[in-house]
Amino acid sequence: MQYPAPISKLIDGFMKLPGIGPKTASRLAFYVLDMKEDDVLEFAKSLVNAKRDLTYCSVCHHITDTDPCRICDDKERDQTVVCVVQDSKDVIAMEKMREYSGLYHVLRGAISPMDGIGPEDINIPDLLKRLQDDQIQEVIVATNPTIEGEATAMYLSRLIKPTGIKVTRIAHGLPIGGDLEYADEVTLSKAMEGRREL
Amino acid sequence: MHIDTLYLKQFRNYKQMGLDVDNTINLILGENAQGKTNMMEAVYVLAFAKSHRTSKDKELIQWEEDFARIEAEISRKTGPLSLEVIISSRGKKTKVNGLEQRKLSEYIGALNVVMFAPEDLNLVKGGPQLRRRFIDMEIGQISPVYLHNLTLYQRVLKQRNQLLKNMFPVPDHEQEMMLDVLTDQLARAAAQVIVRRFSFLRMLAPWSQDIHRQISREKEELSLTYVPTAEVSEGMDLSMIEEKVKEKLMQNRQNEIRRGVTLSGPHRDELSLCINNKEVQTFGSQGQQRTAALSLKLAEIELINDNIGEYPILLLDDVLSELDNHRQSHLLHAIEGKVQTFVTATGVNGVEHQTLKKASTYYAEAGTLRQVK
Repeated sequence: MQYPAPISKLIDGFMKLPGIGPKTASRLAFYVLDMKEDDVLEFAKSLVNAKRDLTYCSVCHHITDTDPCRICDDKERDQTVVCVVQDSKDVIAMEKMREYSGLYHVLRGAISPMDGIGPEDINIPDLLKRLQDDQIQEVIVATNPTIEGEATAMYLSRLIKPTGIKVTRIAHGLPIGGDLEYADEVTLSKAMEGRREL
Repeated sequence: MHIDTLYLKQFRNYKQMGLDVDNTINLILGENAQGKTNMMEAVYVLAFAKSHRTSKDKELIQWEEDFARIEAEISRKTGPLSLEVIISSRGKKTKVNGLEQRKLSEYIGALNVVMFAPEDLNLVKGGPQLRRRFIDMEIGQISPVYLHNLTLYQRVLKQRNQLLKNMFPVPDHEQEMMLDVLTDQLARAAAQVIVRRFSFLRMLAPWSQDIHRQISREKEELSLTYVPTAEVSEGMDLSMIEEKVKEKLMQNRQNEIRRGVTLSGPHRDELSLCINNKEVQTFGSQGQQRTAALSLKLAEIELINDNIGEYPILLLDDVLSELDNHRQSHLLHAIEGKVQTFVTATGVNGVEHQTLKKASTYYAEAGTLRQVK
């Protein structure tokens, strides 16, 4: 069946979002038709504003509406530690923990020759510039435990170690509060590898 | 273990087919292109979630349909299990007792299958990739961790090969450093794979030696040797192997950059088979090569039993007629009464062994199977 042009355009728009196929897209589009006009306007405005008002922090590359971002600007935070993550979402996850009070650096990706992504394509050169500032004493590498995340971590460690700054990698293994029996074999074997003396 | 029921939907030439299996030995007869091998393939896919014949899952789906489904009820020592593999154009799903499995490595191993098909007769004389595949498939069945390590290795290898290609002709400093990183990462993954392969062959060797001795009427000694591309040997520990693999990669570095490909590591290692200290690949007769292949497959069945405490399902696809009487009897004798087996053949001629007289016989015709009483 042919949709009228305005709605097929809307469906098309929804389908550009991740995880949304044609069925969900048309369900959302028809839902929009039933919404109050004010709500629709509000929604449209927030979409545009999110895109227009948010930029990347010129220091850490985290998404922000002020530059430098609130985290970089916060003098209360420990200025000697930088936690390197792949994505802005990772910063938010870390912040939820409320245990870490250092700074961040968002790479926005991981090194992957297969996808044509080299060290200069993610924010590594910027990180090095930041490290020249003598305040920073430790870099915590919190890239994902995937092959690319791991390679990026190893690359960073090679790059930074000669400067005398301490480089650490976050641990991986069993989730806390989970039962051992429910962990998959691979996670379990990683946890065994990383065991430590009590 | 035992398959009790099998159900296929839109799989290859089977529109819909249900089968109750009540016998240990099951003989499937039929003309060519009627669905004998497809049925064997279905059992194989149920075990490994991929085909032995094609890497394109789409080919498994019946023409003009959008999915294929294989279901089976199986009995294991630990109890009954229902298994399901669904293949559609959007990917595949696996279920155990109705629960979808998040990772393939969690599914594989639910059903253990050993297949012996005509192409396996080439296991000995064919290219080294066949023997590597044999090792990888078999360890994968008993060790999900191995499967994970192997996938890891292959992915790092791809990244490294791509980087090597990018580095030609003049590598920059960043690329050199990235190559160091990927070399470390590759060596670490390689060590895990190599250690497991060594220990697998150490366990397989006595079984295959024994079986081969019997089939050759005490005349031949079969030995298996892992021939690595790096200077590693069996007694070394993980970190030592990692070190040696890295050393080899470092030696080849310039050459690798020139050729744009990783030249050493588990993906180039070889399994060498000797009979009475002579390499079978090059010096063995056709008969010796076949016997050695058969010995390896039979050893594998015993090894799985040894590891998991029960025998796997055996699929003999069109191979009985390829073996002479003596080897046939040996094979059938070895499995009699303990290994549930599916055998295909075009006719009963050439497969008249005593064991097969007790088999349930099915007849495959144009995508149907009917039991012959």
